[in-house]
Parts: sequence; C-alpha cells; structure tokens
Amino acid sequence: MDEPRRSDPREGPAGLRRLLEDDPADLYENAPCGYFSALPDGQLVKANRTFCEWTGRPLGELIGTRFQALLSVGGRVFYETHLAPLLRMQGMVREVALDVVRADGSMLPCLLNAVEVRDDRGAPLLVRATVFEATSRRRYERALLAAQRAAAESERRAHTLQQVVSELSAASSARDVAEVIVRRSREAVGASGAALWLAAERRANRRDEASVPPLELVASDGIPAGLLEAMEAAALGGAELVRDGGVHTVPRGAGLRAVWPGLADAMAEAEQEALVVVPVDADTRHLGALVLLLGVTGDSGLIDLTPPGNRGSLVQADADLLATVGRQAGQALERVRLFEETARAAERSAFLLDAARLMAAAGDVVETAERLAELAVPRLGDLCVIDLATEHGLTRPAARHGDPARRALVTELEERHLPQRGAPHPSAKAMQEGRTVWIREITDRWLAEVTADPRHLEVARTLDLVSMVCVPLVAGGRSLGVITLCSDRRRGPFTPADVEVAEQLALQVSQVVDKAQRLELETRTSHTLQGILLPPPPPPVPGLAAAVRYLPASRGADVGGDFYDVVPLSGGQVALAAGDVVGHDITAAAVMGQLRSVHRALLGDRPPPSAVIDRLQAVWPLLGLPRMATALFAVLDPATGGLRVASAGHLPPLLVTGGAAELLDVRPTRMLGAPPAPVPAVEWDGVLALGATLLLYTDGLVESRDADLDEGLAALIDAAVRAGTTDPDELCDRLLAELAGGVRADDVALLAITRRP
Amino acid sequence: MSVIARNRVRVSGVDDGRPMVFAHGFGCDQEMWRLVVPAFEPDHRVVLFDHVGSGRSDLSAYDPVKYNALDGYADDVVEICRELGLDDVVFVGHSVSAMMGVLAAARTPGLFGALVMVGPNPRYVDDGDYTGGFSREDIAALLESLDSNHLGWSAAMAPVIMGNPDRPELTAELTNSFCRTDPDIARQFARVTFLSDNRADLPGVRVPTLVLQCSDDAIAPEPVGRYVHAQVPGSVFTQLAATGHCPHLSAPEETVAAIRAFLE
Repeated sequence: MDEPRRSDPREGPAGLRRLLEDDPADLYENAPCGYFSALPDGQLVKANRTFCEWTGRPLGELIGTRFQALLSVGGRVFYETHLAPLLRMQGMVREVALDVVRADGSMLPCLLNAVEVRDDRGAPLLVRATVFEATSRRRYERALLAAQRAAAESERRAHTLQQVVSELSAASSARDVAEVIVRRSREAVGASGAALWLAAERRANRRDEASVPPLELVASDGIPAGLLEAMEAAALGGAELVRDGGVHTVPRGAGLRAVWPGLADAMAEAEQEALVVVPVDADTRHLGALVLLLGVTGDSGLIDLTPPGNRGSLVQADADLLATVGRQAGQALERVRLFEETARAAERSAFLLDAARLMAAAGDVVETAERLAELAVPRLGDLCVIDLATEHGLTRPAARHGDPARRALVTELEERHLPQRGAPHPSAKAMQEGRTVWIREITDRWLAEVTADPRHLEVARTLDLVSMVCVPLVAGGRSLGVITLCSDRRRGPFTPADVEVAEQLALQVSQVVDKAQRLELETRTSHTLQGILLPPPPPPVPGLAAAVRYLPASRGADVGGDFYDVVPLSGGQVALAAGDVVGHDITAAAVMGQLRSVHRALLGDRPPPSAVIDRLQAVWPLLGLPRMATALFAVLDPATGGLRVASAGHLPPLLVTGGAAELLDVRPTRMLGAPPAPVPAVEWDGVLALGATLLLYTDGLVESRDADLDEGLAALIDAAVRAGTTDPDELCDRLLAELAGGVRADDVALLAITRRP
Repeated sequence: MSVIARNRVRVSGVDDGRPMVFAHGFGCDQEMWRLVVPAFEPDHRVVLFDHVGSGRSDLSAYDPVKYNALDGYADDVVEICRELGLDDVVFVGHSVSAMMGVLAAARTPGLFGALVMVGPNPRYVDDGDYTGGFSREDIAALLESLDSNHLGWSAAMAPVIMGNPDRPELTAELTNSFCRTDPDIARQFARVTFLSDNRADLPGVRVPTLVLQCSDDAIAPEPVGRYVHAQVPGSVFTQLAATGHCPHLSAPEETVAAIRAFLE
C-alpha cells in the first residue's frame, strides 16, 4: 500500500520561503535567545541583538566588558568559584541559573548554557554561550521556595514544641523545668540569652509578707554577669509585664531607659536591642517570667550581617511559640511542685515519726537532745544546735554539723558561744519572745551583728551558712530552751515547709524535755530520800557476820520502797527485817522510812516477830500510811542460833547450810495495811546452825517479767548452792551478779547473816 | 572511619619528596588542582583531598557543629598530615583554605614548613578602613541567593548527588559534576567562608609564606592580598598576570612557576 503523499511544509506563502532562505546572520541576531562569545577571562567579544535588547545595553558597551561584571554579586561569586572552573575542567556548563543586571539596574533572571572552544593543544580560545530568559520560571521557583521555607519554619516550631513537651515530661524539679525552657526557647528564636524567674513560694497566712512575692532567678543561659545583675535588679518591677498574659517585646529605647536606666546601659554594653518577656502561667496564676534577649549573639565566631537596630524584633509566629512554651512551662512547674510537695510531706512525716521514736527510746534529756541533733542533720539542716534551760542556766547538750570536716568548728561553737539572754543572737530572741525566728538570708553584716566576738564571727563565716531558723522549746508557758537549725550554701535557704517541720519537731521535743525534766527531778529527789531512809551498814555483832545490799531499779525514774534492817537488842539478840512497800515512787520511799522507824520503836521490849507484825497491823491506821507493804521480821540469838521468823505477806527467807539451800517454811499472813483477817501472825521457830547463812530478800531478786515466781525461787536456790560460800558478802555479790542482771524492773534489797563460831 | 576515606585523600608523586598538601577552596573539589599537580609530582609527595561536604568526601561525616567554623576544617588538615606521617609540609591553600592553613599551622608548630596562599581573603566583609571586597549588603545578597537556590549552585546538581539510575538522560545532562555539593552543606560552607574573620591570626604565622595574587580577582582583590602580605611576618607577595580567582586553572604554568620560585 502506498503511503499518502505529504506536501512539503516549506512550500507555503512566498514570505515564508524568503524567511527560511535568510542568511544565518539574521537567525543569530534575532534568535529567541541571547547569544554571546567571550574570551577565556570573560571579556565579551560578540553578542547578538536579542542579548543587547534583553540587557538594555548597546553592543558597543558590551564588547570588552567582562561577562561576570554584568552579574549580580551572587552571580559573580558563582562565576568565579563554579562556572569558570567547570568550563576549564569539563569544557561546558548547562542550565546554570544566573541574574544579569540590566542597564537600568533591574535583574534579568536567565539560564545559561556555555561551551569552551579550545585549540589543538586544549588551550582555551573562546567561550560560547546561550542565554534564555527565565523570569516566570524564577518567579515560580521563588514562590515554591517561600512556601517551602514557611513549611520548614512551621515544622521547626512544631519540633521545638515537641522537644519542649517531651523534655518537660522528664523534668523532676523546678530547676529541670527552667533549664529546658531557657535552652529551648533561646534556640527556637535565636535569642542571644534567656533566663527564667519564678515567684518565690509563699507560706500561707504569713502576715509579714509583701504583696508581691520575691522573684528568684532559677536558670539562665548566655547572659553576661553584668547584664544578668541589671535584669535581676529590674525583675521585681517587671512583674507587671506578665500581668496580661501576653508576650511583650521591650526595645532598648527611651521608654526602657526612663524606667530602668541601669538595665538599658547594660544592654547597650552587651549590644542587646530588646527584651522579650514571656509569662509563665498555670491556668490564671502567674508563676514567673521567661526573659529573652535579642541582639548580637556571639554564639559562633562568624560575622553577624544583621544591621544594628534590626535584631530586636520577633516574628508573630515566634511570639506565639514562646507564649505556648510559657504555658507548657507553667503546667510543668505545677506538676513538679505538686510532686515535690507530696514528696516533701512524706519526708516530713517520716522525719517526725523517726524523731518521735527516737525520743521515746532516749534515756534522759541530754541523750534525747544528742540523738535529735543527729537526726536533724542532715535531714532537716546542715547544722543543729540545741540549748536547754536548766536549773544551772543555759546548757548546750548538742551541736552537730552534717559535714565531718566542719565538726571541729561546731565543737568550738558548742564550747564557747552560748547565747546570752538579751544578746542579739536570734536563738536568744526566740527564747525570750517565745516565737520562731527565721533568718531567710544570712548576710555577712548580719553575722557580724549577732556574733559574740571576732573568733565567733570567723567560725560562723567558715560554716558558709545561708539561712537560719530558731524555734523555742516551750511547755506550759515555761521556756525550756531553743533549737537552732542552719542551712549552708550547698543546701540553699530554708523553705516555709522546712520551718513548719522545725516547729513541729520543737513541739515534740518540748513535751519530751518537759516530761523528762520533771521525771529527772523526781527521781533525783526519791533516790536522795531513799538513800537517807535506808539504815547505815549493820553494826558488828559478836558471833555473826552480816551483809546488806540495795540496788535501785534500772529505770531512772523509779524508786522503790524496799528496805532491810539489823538491830542489836539488849540481851545479845539481834532483830532482823526486810520489806517492800508497794509502788515505785517517792511515796513508797516515804512509807518505807516511816515503817522502819516504827519498827525500831517497837523493839524496845524485845517482842517476838509475830508480835511485831500484830502491833504494826494494829497501829497502821493510826500511822495513816497510804501504802501496804510486805515484810519479814526475825529475831536471832547469836549464842544459841535460836531463830524465830514471822512474815507479813513476804517471800520466805533462804537458809544456806553446807552446800544446800532451802526456803524456810514460814507461813505468811496478810500484808501490812491489808484489811484485817481473823488469823494472827504465826512464827517459824528453829535454829540457825553454826556456819549457816540466813538470807532475807525482796521480790526484785526473784521476780521477772518473763518467768513466774516458782522459777525465780528455784533459780535463787540453785544460785545459792552454786555460790558455795559461807561469807555473806560474797554470797550477796554472787546472787546479785547472777540473778539481778543489768536491767532491773524493780528494786532489790538483800540481807545475809552467817553465824560464826 | 579512616581520615583517608573521609576526605578522599589521594597521594601521588615520589615517596621521599617534600610533602605538598593542596587544599581546594569554596566551590569545587580537588580536581581544581589537576593542571598544576603534574608539575610537582616528579620531586614532591603530592597530597590531594576534598573537604568534608565537598566533592566525593564522605557526606555522612559532615557535622554541622564541627564545620560551623574554619577550625573544624583546619583540624581535618592536621589529621590528614598526621595520618600520612608527614612533616615539613608545604600547604597550598586556595581562597578560604589559605586561612585553614593558617589555623592548622598555629596549632601544630613544626608540622608545616611553608604556606602558599592562592587568592587568600581573611575577611570578605569590609570593616571600617579594611577592604575585604564586599559590603555587608553584598554578602547578605550573596547568601540570600545561595539560600534561595536559584543560581543553580546546588539545586541543579542535587539529582546527581542523589543518583538517578532510572533517568540516565537527566544524569547525562547534569554534567556540572566537579562542583556537586549537597545544598545544605554548600549553604553552610558559604556562610563559614564569607562570614569568617581571620585577620587576627595572620601576625601569628611563623612559617615562610607566599601570597599569590591574581589580577582582577573579584573574590580576593589586590588590596586584600597586600593586606595579608603586610600582616604575615616575612611573607612573599607575588602578583600574577592571571585574571580571575583560579590561577591554578586559568594560568597553571605561571602559578607553578611562582610556587617553585618561592620554594627554591
């Protein structure tokens, strides 16, 4: 099949034929692209009319001009660093985008293709280039680029926010939060520096607080010290700036200078042009402010091209970002504070519980104070000093520092510097006025005022203390002493919560000290009284060897009513007695004293032991003795060994003879002072052989909390046999060593009599 | 990673010759030296390398923090010399690399025996009485044009870097291959190049130094070369007839002759 014959397109109107046959020179001159030739160094030697028209430059002006001289500054640099080297190295370049400057100064965006024409040896002769206008393409590219940049910026902000949120979730303290916020916000807007101030925590219901809480610098980054100081000085007044919750840019202008000239100067010095104040809020509460500085950053060693005066502004999107970051910070701070508060409350409770346990276990006031100081340091403070008011004046039973290296200084404080009444030291003031004295910030000047002498001042300075709280110990309106707690620089100043714990601790201590002081007084009185009431060592009696022992109960506050007595009677006989008044207190001791006196008074006509009991029972109501008592009375004839014993509810005496021991079967009758019973006292009647020992004792020797009386008596017999001695002193010592032990719940009285040939 | 691979280090010439380390400037890569290197290979140990981020260096080694100052590049130069066990090195630095040589020599006294600065410029931005060749606005416009990519500094080359085996016709067209660079890296390298100020480092140079000055160099004009010569103690100043910024490409014979004359 034949192909359909196509007509030659060149066979058209005569005009077309003429045009097509035109000489190439016309094509060159009027081509739809610029065309030029240049020497290897860029000098133009030929250019077509299109190029001349596009650039608005006549051919005469172009010839001899270097092509790179027609380019924008970016184009010139590109020509030298890229285009010319590429032409040399690879002989051609394609689609290079350049801006040619027209005669009127406007730009002709174009695309350039070029080849290098070389001679036989490869040396460059000429560069031939075509130039295509690319205005629309460039406009499109720019729009694309602007959109791309906006997207990138938006993504960067979103990323910043994401980072902030994720880092804040890991923050566990206000300082952590502050550091994240300061660093990230500074990066996000390219600020030269940033700092975060927070309102100091306020103690509820404190009347002496100012209405605006003090601001504390929590974190800062990239701000020179002098400028930071100026910002600190202005921070309190600047609090107004966060009131409306918006982000404020404050330029370093006349307005700023009028209010804070010092800050304006410091900013000028550091080449900073504006402050950006971002409120840190949680819901509607203002927690503080993030402050950023805009100006010369000094971050890299590179030259900053931004003209001075143009650095102090923030685009709206960045301001919005900062506002969001501020809100995130506020929420994180609330969370962290809640967490810290909970942790602190738990710690406080644990501390007070430990203190209560410790005080319950302590023996006396001094020990209580010592243990308490040990507990308070380091859990509550770095230094704890406890002063107590005693009958001898103010004493310092405890002073403790958490740092072993500083203990020696504290020992010196302890020994030398007791606060005097009326002295300016806050501990004296606290005692005098009966209220807590809290020194939030210790300054050197203040130290100089309150210390007693230069050495005192020196020691106080070395301790590097930053805050102090003195809490008086008061019970029933009586001033008992004062607890002084200090924190040093490493811990930082005390918070209101710390002071509350110190006060609660002082309350506990006051009660314990009060009780302990009363008990100690009573104990001392009781023991003194008991010491006076107990008989002197038994007198020597021919034919007998006697030993007595009295051991008070080991609990310091207790005093017993135990007693013993050895009374020589006319006619050579000896009356013996041992007894125990019910109770462990001063009354028991007093009853014991009276009972012993009455007993001696009754011995005038040498009554038998049973008669002694009957008479005592008879006079008991007359004596008005408030306590009952058990007692054992005996009469021994040293010459014959005749022994008569009667018991008023008392434990039987022990007879130790030649390697054996037995309890005498003395039938006890009712206790002294017990309601009358029909049975009169009965006597045991026997003989104490030569070399035998009679032991009278009180129940403290055989009774214990964890064993019954029978076991105690069996142990006594066993111990007496094992003692294997006829010496009464040795017997007493052995029995006490074995049976009384270190911790006694009750008094022990012992009376041992051995009949000697 | 080995320094050799990171910087695509190439060693040629004679093993016992005096070492010459050639450092390319902002723009292309070590190929820039190909017309002068043959002249030194017979009697020198010639070391060529690409700065990290340029040519066929290992782009994964590019650290925006390290390379945000010329010091990062100077550290690499020192590492390369140490890795090869060089001493008495003749460091030939083009353009911005001349300043890297100054920094590298300052931190390793004794390692370098001579500095050859080809078209050096310690600070491109004019500053008071100092003429760097560019106003603040010029540099801002230059960096802006680089940022907006429309000069084809790098955008047109991106496909080559990414590789495009499915469209060989595209790869074939994009032949500006000696100057290929990742656009982000090119942008930062330009910032570091045009925003550095190394004037204060010049008086500390303690090795024999040659300043090679081209005619009509738009990037390092003659007053800048004269300034460098005046600041570097005992330096030699050689004015070349060659025009432009790359005499090692446009006038290799003249360049070689000037360097040889200085070294001998």
